[in-house]
Amino acid sequence: MIGALWSNFDYAVSVVLFLIGLYCVIAKNNLIKKFMGLNIMETSVFAFIVAIGVVDRGSAPIMGPGARGPFVNPIPQALILTGIVVAVSTTALALSLIVRVWHQCGTIEADELRELE
Amino acid sequence: MKKALIIALLAVAAIPLLAAMASMPRFGSPEQPAYTHVASRYLQKGAEEAGADNVVTGVILNYRGFDTNGEVTVIFTACAATAAVLVTSGSRKKEKPGEATVPLSPVVGYVVRLLAPFIALFAFYVVLFGEVSPGGGFQGGTIFAALIIILSVVAGRNVAERVLPARVRPWLQIAGPLSFIAVGTLGAVLTGSYLGFPHARGLLATAMLMGIELGIGIGGATVFASIFWRLGDEP
Repeated sequence: MIGALWSNFDYAVSVVLFLIGLYCVIAKNNLIKKFMGLNIMETSVFAFIVAIGVVDRGSAPIMGPGARGPFVNPIPQALILTGIVVAVSTTALALSLIVRVWHQCGTIEADELRELE
Repeated sequence: MKKALIIALLAVAAIPLLAAMASMPRFGSPEQPAYTHVASRYLQKGAEEAGADNVVTGVILNYRGFDTNGEVTVIFTACAATAAVLVTSGSRKKEKPGEATVPLSPVVGYVVRLLAPFIALFAFYVVLFGEVSPGGGFQGGTIFAALIIILSVVAGRNVAERVLPARVRPWLQIAGPLSFIAVGTLGAVLTGSYLGFPHARGLLATAMLMGIELGIGIGGATVFASIFWRLGDEP
């Protein structure tokens, strides 16, 4: 199993990144830090899916004169391009909600917010 | 104590994930299932069918056009939701034009002013050459939004807002969905299906893709800049 994992080193890195993000979401107390943890998790998923599209000695999938194969898989790149933009949108909305919480409650620490109830 | 518990929990969660990664097809293998089915057809026929040399652009705007249409609506919705959550009374703290929001060294301001036209030119290059080179509407729009954001940090918001005047900003924000609907309707008239691209006339299909790219670029840049400004508003 270790040998198989070593040949899939790039996938394993994205798992590690995912767990770092999950740690931030669970352990951190500040809402912005929690959300940055969620962003790290998103990034790890993006890195994983783009890594699926990699082909040995593949070049960018741009046709035209002089283009020679093999080309890398264009579908993960297209999917992740849209995914990144949706991640930006959720980040913007979450940050604006956090700004709103800060104006209303004067704090964005999760435990202090729990005491306010 | 709590941290140790969390790390132990994550270590337990890591085992099935790493086992799944070990059983995936080898990294970079040309025989993996993700590469041998749809992708190989896109790579063979994509350039002529989609009307764009860059297959990624072809996949985004032509094969998966409906997906992207929904997605430009998502970023517009995010902009609208941010505006709805952070309702302002319109009494923004007045700042003098040309005044930075944070104290900066003159070198930073000079370099930003020097580079600004080149960054703008690069953004438009990335948008318009998305068909034949790496790039596209989202990427170019993000570069332009970054220029506006750095201008509003360095030169003050009033200077940056002159690039996107408040009068036309709502129309620019919705430029992405609007251009998609316009091109999709044009496709419906020409081919009978929404977002259909005429195969026979390659030049027209490329022009339609470019129209969408330009709409996404302008819309994306305006939306990201507006979100940034809105987050900095005084309530």
